[in-house]
Amino acid sequence: MKHINHRDVVVIGGGIIGAAIAYYGSKSGLEITVFEKNELGSGTSSKCDGDILAVDKDPGFNSQMALKSQKLVHELHTELDTPFEYRNYGSILVCENDMELEAAQKWVKQQQNAGLDFRMLDREDLRNESKYFADDLLGGLECQTDSMVNPYLFTYSLFEGAKRYGAHIHTHTEVVNLYKNQAKQFVIETNQGTFTANKVVNACGVWAPFIGKMLDIDIPIKPRKGQIIVASRQKPVGVRNVMEFGYLISKFGGERKVDPLIEKYGVALVMEPTESQNFLIGSSRQFNGYETKVDNEVMKCIAHRAVRFYPKIADMTVIRAYAGLRPWTADHLPIISQVEAIPGFYIAAGHEGDGISLAAITGKLIEEMINETNTSVPIEPLSLNRFHASLEHSFD
Amino acid sequence: MTERIIDHPILGKMEDVNHVTFSFNNRVYKGLENESLAAALLANGIRTLRYQEESGSPRGIYCNIGHCYECRVTVNGQPGIRACITPLKEGMTVESSGQLKIKEKEV
Amino acid sequence: MFKAIIIGSGPAGLTAAITCAENGLDVLVIDEYMSAGGRLLGQLYEQPDGSWWNGLRESKNLYTTAISLGVKFHFNTSVNNIEKRNNRWVVYTEKGTFYTENLLLATGAAESPVPVPGWTLPGVMSVGAAQVMTNVHRVKPGKRGVIIGVNVLSSVIAMELHLAGVEIACLTLPKMNSIANKEGNPSQVLDSLLHVSHMATSPLIRYGSKLLKNDFIKNLGIHFYPKKGFKMWNTPIQLRKAVIEIYGKDEVEGVVVAAIKANGEVVPGSEERIQADFVCIAGGLYPLVELAALAGCPFFLVEELGGHVPLHSEKMETPLEGLFVAGNITGIEGAKVAAAQGRTAGLAMAIHSGIKGLDTEIRHSMDMVKQTRESADIQFHPEIEVGRKRILREWEISQTSKQNHEALMG
Repeated sequence: MKHINHRDVVVIGGGIIGAAIAYYGSKSGLEITVFEKNELGSGTSSKCDGDILAVDKDPGFNSQMALKSQKLVHELHTELDTPFEYRNYGSILVCENDMELEAAQKWVKQQQNAGLDFRMLDREDLRNESKYFADDLLGGLECQTDSMVNPYLFTYSLFEGAKRYGAHIHTHTEVVNLYKNQAKQFVIETNQGTFTANKVVNACGVWAPFIGKMLDIDIPIKPRKGQIIVASRQKPVGVRNVMEFGYLISKFGGERKVDPLIEKYGVALVMEPTESQNFLIGSSRQFNGYETKVDNEVMKCIAHRAVRFYPKIADMTVIRAYAGLRPWTADHLPIISQVEAIPGFYIAAGHEGDGISLAAITGKLIEEMINETNTSVPIEPLSLNRFHASLEHSFD
Repeated sequence: MTERIIDHPILGKMEDVNHVTFSFNNRVYKGLENESLAAALLANGIRTLRYQEESGSPRGIYCNIGHCYECRVTVNGQPGIRACITPLKEGMTVESSGQLKIKEKEV
Repeated sequence: MFKAIIIGSGPAGLTAAITCAENGLDVLVIDEYMSAGGRLLGQLYEQPDGSWWNGLRESKNLYTTAISLGVKFHFNTSVNNIEKRNNRWVVYTEKGTFYTENLLLATGAAESPVPVPGWTLPGVMSVGAAQVMTNVHRVKPGKRGVIIGVNVLSSVIAMELHLAGVEIACLTLPKMNSIANKEGNPSQVLDSLLHVSHMATSPLIRYGSKLLKNDFIKNLGIHFYPKKGFKMWNTPIQLRKAVIEIYGKDEVEGVVVAAIKANGEVVPGSEERIQADFVCIAGGLYPLVELAALAGCPFFLVEELGGHVPLHSEKMETPLEGLFVAGNITGIEGAKVAAAQGRTAGLAMAIHSGIKGLDTEIRHSMDMVKQTRESADIQFHPEIEVGRKRILREWEISQTSKQNHEALMG
């Protein structure tokens, strides 16, 4: 018989979510083992931007959760040994027409009522923010608590921290089968041998449904492709993360006044200055399976959009472009949940474009669920049941 | 100091080429037509081509064949041009980019 | 629309272009550089028979032949992206978009950087940069230099710099760290140096290289090499010292070296300064494969070939129809092997575009690649054969599974 390794908690997935779970879990005293099929952070966590945002979250539960996460990241900034290019300058949304400006005013009011640090910006404020903005922009809004990190370094930094607390990290270890044995332990077959565990957390992002399938669990996550251009900073364009208000509309599936190609590819401006003096310019939203090829036409759309808001950016040098897959859910909230049917099985996936923003709170929540302590935010809105309940409901 | 290798034991004498005039950071220099901008600058003793945008530390050529982008300068008003793969032409105006003065946000 | 487009005008690309044109294909060659030749341009070394390999002259000859056959060239043109649309390869460049049914990637190799404290100072450059400055542009990279990294490429370039009247204070190793690992380990460095021994004028290294083929003696060699190092082409080589820092206020003023033990550790208190006005970093070459990755080629990490290489056949085809590779993108070897591969690729492209009667010629060409490899003057990796066999085996596996799949799909 093959030698079987037994573990307490196994986290499947070595991206930002797995990293945060490993960190908070091992810090709380749990014995954590992580299985990653490739390298750490080699999936979505290195094909994204590094914004830690509340500005784009639905007012209420979602934005409160984001705010909690921001506070945790602020603490991690001093807590973790490896710096991860943390900058908490706040972020802004810009509006290009009256319709957007009106919607922005409503948005700010709602967020303020929910207790978040939001305010409106007028044309003058924008001019002071950057002289590279297009002249015709009407205004925008600002969220003071937003911050930026290098997502790749953030992932590593959390894993380094987790290791210090005794977590075991296995890279190039792919889970090929997962089931429960008669002793009610999980049996995890990997390409590096078979393990058993008391608890398993599925932190596989867009690949979470494949792990779910091994246990006959349907996890309603779909990959939503996004592309980003990396451009070289040649002028002091700004230090804060800037998005167009249309980004919110694009994210939540509303209707925008833009040309058909921009609409087709779900392109909306995100402009993130990195600490190393370059820009990440995004992004697009497409459902196109699991392919991650950079599409030239989409790149052009993203570049056009950036030039629309920053005309002079046309002179700057593009360094490269990349595409990644966001783990999309129908209600734009992640699944951070125990699975009732399978005690000891947890899901932490489906963050769409908020994996970096919400990683810290996700890690904390999973730790709290496993330790059966009070959770930092209510977890009902994040449960897997919400999808299955509505599914049953729709059959009525 | 750097200098041109006029006579080479194996490669022989340098071929005759046109001399051209160009400017770098508002000073006028001479170089050889169609040699790389980086070579022309080095032949004039210039190693520092730009200053890193954030730290302001000086940078020169590194790979010399267009891969690393360390040698980017502004040529005739166009920024981000790699000096190592740009042929020198008469009357070129070359400027090195400097440190970006970025107002630091309060943290 | 061109019958063939070739990206890269080094020895592989130029030879492929000539071969395509000889077989009646209209060819466009695209290169980012200002002129044809690629890495061949800077090469200059004495061959075992005493004649000189002059890369500048070789490049010019190939280019002139290509031009006389009607090959078109776009220099100073960077390729941003390639993709397959409607059964054609689309090549996006700064100067327009081009289309073809036969695309060859002959992008060559890049040098691995070895970060050493102070390496961003002006005056620090890759060893290949110093070679191009010296042999192509005929501008001395400086008066006195230090080369960090002792390998086949840096040893040859040290000799070339010496030839041009540039003083090399020494060749030495970088202090070992996780990134500079391989270039910093004395026993591995000696291993790689065995493959330039025919060019060594120093009796010590000549004698040494014969002796050192035995692992046991090689280990002795490390421990018994004189602390002051030895000389190759009048250039001191320091395997017992490593550069721990490059210093200078605004430009390079010198390096700090320290003694290192055979396992690569620094001996405390052994630091000394060597003055220099330029420093070359020699981290070795790796295949430049980005375009193959963009195209969606499968890759294999083959240490003996210098890194990740796209899957390819002996006929230089990739699994993607109409996409070919040749030269250092397939593995790090000398210019002569690259050229031989280029000829094979050119023939494969001609066959793919419908030219008949080339079967014998391409078989002969494939044999030539092997012969050239066996008689190569400079070998970049001692186990190059192993690497080549590995990738061919992977090709066969992929072909077999493709056939099985096709049989299954009926």
